[in-house]
Amino acid sequence: MANDIKKFNSRSAKNFVLDHIIEVLLIVLVVVMTLASSTFFTWPNWANIFRNMSMKGVIAFGMTMVIIAGQIDLSIGSTVALSGVIIARCCRDLPDATGMSLTVACIVGILLSFVVAIGMGILHGYAQHKFGMPSFIVTLASLNLLYGLAGMLSGGFPIANEFPTWFNQIGTGKVGGAQGLPIPAIILLVVFIVFYFIMNYTTTGRSIYAVGGNPESARLSGINVLATKIIVFASVQCMCVIAGIINSAQVIAGSYSFGRGWEVDVISAVVIGGTSMLGGIGKVWGTLIGIIFLGVIVNGMTILNLDIYAQFVVRAVLMFFAVMVATFRAKAKA
Amino acid sequence: MVILRTEHLTKDYPGCRALDDVTVSFESGKVNALLGKNGSGKSTLVKCFSGAIQQSAGEFFLNDERCSFAKPTEAYNHGFATVYQEMSLVSGLTVTENIFLGRMPKKGGLIDWNRAHADAKKMLDMMKVNINPREIVSRLSMWQCQVVEITKAMSYHPKVLMLDEPTSALASTEINILFDVIRELKKQDVIIIYISHKLHEIPQIADTVTVLRDGRMIGKVNIEDVEHKDILGMMFGDVVIRKRPADIVPQEEVVLDVKNLTRSGKFENISFQLHKSEVLGIAGMLGSGRTELLKSIFGADPYDSGTIKVNGVKIRHNASPITMKKHGLGLTPEDRKQEGLILIHSIRDNLCYASMSRTSVGWMENRRVRAQIANEQIENLQIKVPDVKATVGSLSGGNQQKVVVGNWLNTQPQIMLYDEPSRGIDVAAKQQIFEIMWEQSKRGIATIFVSSELEELLETCNRILIMSNGKLTGEAYPDNLTVEALYSLCMED
Repeated sequence: MANDIKKFNSRSAKNFVLDHIIEVLLIVLVVVMTLASSTFFTWPNWANIFRNMSMKGVIAFGMTMVIIAGQIDLSIGSTVALSGVIIARCCRDLPDATGMSLTVACIVGILLSFVVAIGMGILHGYAQHKFGMPSFIVTLASLNLLYGLAGMLSGGFPIANEFPTWFNQIGTGKVGGAQGLPIPAIILLVVFIVFYFIMNYTTTGRSIYAVGGNPESARLSGINVLATKIIVFASVQCMCVIAGIINSAQVIAGSYSFGRGWEVDVISAVVIGGTSMLGGIGKVWGTLIGIIFLGVIVNGMTILNLDIYAQFVVRAVLMFFAVMVATFRAKAKA
Repeated sequence: MVILRTEHLTKDYPGCRALDDVTVSFESGKVNALLGKNGSGKSTLVKCFSGAIQQSAGEFFLNDERCSFAKPTEAYNHGFATVYQEMSLVSGLTVTENIFLGRMPKKGGLIDWNRAHADAKKMLDMMKVNINPREIVSRLSMWQCQVVEITKAMSYHPKVLMLDEPTSALASTEINILFDVIRELKKQDVIIIYISHKLHEIPQIADTVTVLRDGRMIGKVNIEDVEHKDILGMMFGDVVIRKRPADIVPQEEVVLDVKNLTRSGKFENISFQLHKSEVLGIAGMLGSGRTELLKSIFGADPYDSGTIKVNGVKIRHNASPITMKKHGLGLTPEDRKQEGLILIHSIRDNLCYASMSRTSVGWMENRRVRAQIANEQIENLQIKVPDVKATVGSLSGGNQQKVVVGNWLNTQPQIMLYDEPSRGIDVAAKQQIFEIMWEQSKRGIATIFVSSELEELLETCNRILIMSNGKLTGEAYPDNLTVEALYSLCMED
């Protein structure tokens, strides 16, 4: 009897560590970095980490939804670029052509970007569900489509210095003075809260888990599988628009070359956060940890002056082990 | 001549004895039919021979040599080959590659394609069938696949060839071709053990009939010596059908009215009415179109023509499960793991997926209601759970089935469709599922119950529809019906 209790306790302790392995690793990483560099554990540096991760971060929350639904979206980087270009074009051309003010033109551009994003989401969801096309392939095609459209719209050059000043503040501004919270970091936290709420407290969240866990069971339980897929694909695309706004506002330009290859970091953050690529399992909280984890690694290596290419090697190794740990964890629990 | 002989073969599973002291022998050059209803132990016997499982007691001998196999490959090497009901061919490869899978003839380290195709051709010719060895398997018809499976098994030169329901997926013309192949095989010195549910085929192909019931050996007879009804008697014995409670009485009110429902290739011209509080059974063999019918009624699969009325309201053509749920229908699917449950999710979640409109206020989930209705079902259905947050995959089959049922009862349905709810679950759990049906019926819920187990239908239902080859061929009332009579009705084409 006493033996049983002991066994149970050691087992639950083991499960707790297994469940929170990424959190544990993150704390270890932060401690190591703090010991290695005096500038790491300072407020300006943390503000920096959050600002740098904000763009990929907001997309990662949308991507968490998509992956939990058993899908993937590889076209995200191109949507980031396209939305920046659309807004920049609107700001440059609309005031002259229609006589509207710069602010209105900018808002029109933002709305237009969201319309395009939602349209792409509907297309992805519909094509995947109705024709049974793998979302991997559908969104791979969109990756090129949107990249090409961004290039065509921008004429192959960045469109710089066209935004109103309030728009630029979205990328570079801070709330609470020079030492305050960067606006992109605030956006990241707001998006986190929204997604956390949707996935944990709404019928939409419940449907997303069900569709990813077993689409046929979900369908036969009378869950609207098509609508659910469209919602997840449209959500991640809309997050790309938000990321595109932050990015363009930081650089004060729209360019077709923004967002190239972001899908790698975004998917990394989601997977490091413990979301299963097979669908049905994952947590928004885990993705937040994954984002901070990636941010700390990139920031730490930069502080330590590690060669940029060596940074890629380190990231690859960490990614590999994080996923390995997650896989073992899944097996240990099963 | 080769002889396969068992002595006091017994197999115990936790809580049940699947094979009980079976002593029998089979000779080569004959087709030995192995018969018995579901759960009679015939699959268990075949699995012992094929090395898939090991017997708990007793032994079996091939030509007086004692056999004991730890795994299927050992059985194969000793001359025991099995052709299973489910196709095990690789559909993207050629016939030749499938026959010689993993042992293609080689020359100088490379595959010797000419020899491989020639060898395959030779073997197919021996079966007296015309199948091109270079053809891709996915382009073959069902009977051709079945023959390729048999050819593959024969390529190992087995002494014992076991065929598990080889005709279950074949049309009647194809069955005749397959029988010619099997008669051809009899000329070789091989013991053929033939399992089938299709009783009327047995006289055409079998030489001897061996019947098992409840794991026990009932008898082995020559086919000339017996008649159809003798075999039925051996299979079913004196069945005592338990009675359903007397207070389950169908009411006048028609809740579901199906007219001329047709889905080409699956079922045609199905018309019936379901009354309030009625428990209506649908009997029929596998592949008779029962599952497809239920799915089309529920909107999960399309149909071509016909009408469905629920409570007098005509449902639009090809409505979705979402619509049918709103009309008060629920379906527990045949394959609970693939279609009924989300195995990686918790028991509580699985009990609430169908009833999301009840567990939410607008867009927001009401976690209190969720927990409450999940616990209600766990209590009412007596689901044994370690923890409502445990994954449903960790439960036993019977408890999983109850979760599927609970998921739908939580939607407060008016009409419940159960597709094979008792498959793969123990007797006590089965009985509980029936009691749930009766309990719901007393509350006015109408039930359609599809099962391959005819005794269950006789025990549970007010009325039974007979389905055969996609058509409704009859209607029966359990009160004056024996299992044998119902079985015969199901077998009629």
